[in-house]
Amino acid sequence: MFKKVGLVEKVVLYALLSGIGVALIIPFIYMISISLASGETVAKMEFTIWPREFTWHNFVELFSNAQILNYFKNSIILVIFAIIGQVLSSSFVAFGFSRLNGKGKNFLFLVLLSTMMIPGQITMIPQFIIFSELGWLNTLLPIIVPNFFASAFNVFLLRQFMSRIPRELDEAAKIDGLGYFGIYWRIMLPLLKPILIAVAIFTFNANWGLFMEPLIYINDVEKMPLALGVQILSSTFSSQAVPPWNIVMGASLLLTVPMLLVFFFGQKYMFEANINSGSSGSK
Amino acid sequence: MNTTTNSVVNNNGENPVPEKNRAIKVISKAAKKEQRWFYIFIAPWLIGFIGFTLGPMIASFVLSFTDWDLFTAPNFVGLENYITLFQDDVFWKVVYNTFFFTIISVPLSIILSLGMAYLLAQKIRGIKFFRTVFYLPVLVPVVASSMIFKWILAPDTGVINRFLSIFGVDGPAWLLDPTWVKFSFIFLAIWGVGGNMVLLLAAIQGVPEELYESAEMDGASKFRKFFHITIPIISPVIFFNLVMGLIGSLQAFTQIYILTGGGPNNSSNMIVPYLFSNAFEYYKMGYASSIAWVLFIIIMVFTLIIFKSSSIWVYYESEVKK
Repeated sequence: MFKKVGLVEKVVLYALLSGIGVALIIPFIYMISISLASGETVAKMEFTIWPREFTWHNFVELFSNAQILNYFKNSIILVIFAIIGQVLSSSFVAFGFSRLNGKGKNFLFLVLLSTMMIPGQITMIPQFIIFSELGWLNTLLPIIVPNFFASAFNVFLLRQFMSRIPRELDEAAKIDGLGYFGIYWRIMLPLLKPILIAVAIFTFNANWGLFMEPLIYINDVEKMPLALGVQILSSTFSSQAVPPWNIVMGASLLLTVPMLLVFFFGQKYMFEANINSGSSGSK
Repeated sequence: MNTTTNSVVNNNGENPVPEKNRAIKVISKAAKKEQRWFYIFIAPWLIGFIGFTLGPMIASFVLSFTDWDLFTAPNFVGLENYITLFQDDVFWKVVYNTFFFTIISVPLSIILSLGMAYLLAQKIRGIKFFRTVFYLPVLVPVVASSMIFKWILAPDTGVINRFLSIFGVDGPAWLLDPTWVKFSFIFLAIWGVGGNMVLLLAAIQGVPEELYESAEMDGASKFRKFFHITIPIISPVIFFNLVMGLIGSLQAFTQIYILTGGGPNNSSNMIVPYLFSNAFEYYKMGYASSIAWVLFIIIMVFTLIIFKSSSIWVYYESEVKK
């Protein structure tokens, strides 16, 4: 079906592809255009889609703004700990479900899978109460710590991949005197490296732009991650009538670029995880 | 180990019982050890599940029958929250808005992403470039895309109204207009359609070529091939997109909070932002919990309907088609 494409068809195809492509790219260009607008243009709020002004100084201002750098730093801390927590705990739990037997295993795995169906809003209020009782309000802990208790999706994904590693390796390791923890740590983790990278990328994607949880837990501007910081920057509760839209867009770019970088460098791992998670994986 | 001798003894039928017991004992010791380790390994999830999911779910259910304001002790009020909820005009409005948004944006996203995936499946030069471009919007965090769309949707200078003015159409002040504001969020949803698209593209590329070839021999047109071969074969992926899209749309929050705050006059307010303001702005924790449970039920019902309907329109290879 997708073989011979005639000349007329080719022209139509390229026209459609380019049209859609331009429509999808315009918001990016607009973001860049506003981020480069001068202070006067911001005051008048007359932005052009195609950049006409190139106030590069906006980016100097952005990167010398201690507040914004602090938001960025908080986001980095948040994702690093979230990734460590998720990679370690999810692989640990997946090893149990993949390699070991115990009473109620099948039932517990079913429970694990069904938790994916529960919307976060159900548990939101009691979780808020738990974390405030623990004195964790105005810290990143309520967002970081749950990542150390594994996520159902990652456990499912990792178990799929573990079940494809031959059990003979476990037996050989046992004969060499390794215990279960040794098999997990010395045999499984090194073999699972590509998929662990995929889990790390998924965790990054899920946490980098997180908004609702920081909004609930963090009031102190010093502790906020970038996504919430951008929103604070754009709101007009302070004395100024017009938010500094050029800086807001610069900060939005700062929020977007890491996502793009992680995608371009990590797409082969994500692709592998997506393609393989659905198929095979006996038992 | 003397297991071999044991089995020989068993086979001879001489005094099998104690030997068998000993064998079981040996196995069960190893099994017990394994079981202990099983629980150690799944402990992080199990503890998290009890502490962060099961416990809070029970607590939320109980809270939904109280009038707790976070500062004084909760009072048990029975079904009052649910009764109030069903008489709350704002609640019905946010439910309506959420359904309106979901019922338009989810099917529209699927149709558009299907069209885009079809274009991207063509084998022509430079197609990889277009694949990347079509996917890029998915990578933009909602906060950032909301910031951009504040300007895309601006009344006079916004991209959409400037485009409309080419055709002499005087576009509305999207984010400020009670009738049009819901469409703002539909635009935003459509911009991020690339997530659905990649899955559909992979599915389209996986359709066996022989199917098309035999259809071509029967003289089938491109149109027929698409609707009678491609669509049925990839229907499980469409089904997946439908379920995920639905669950996501019903829980829309960030874009609404940033772009309109639910306004003007709640005309863009949806279930989760309403739940959020009840909980964390008015501190009506009991009432907010009852909203959460109603949302849970709505999501379950929608999902169930799609699952039930799937036997009619989702085609799985393993079934024999009549």
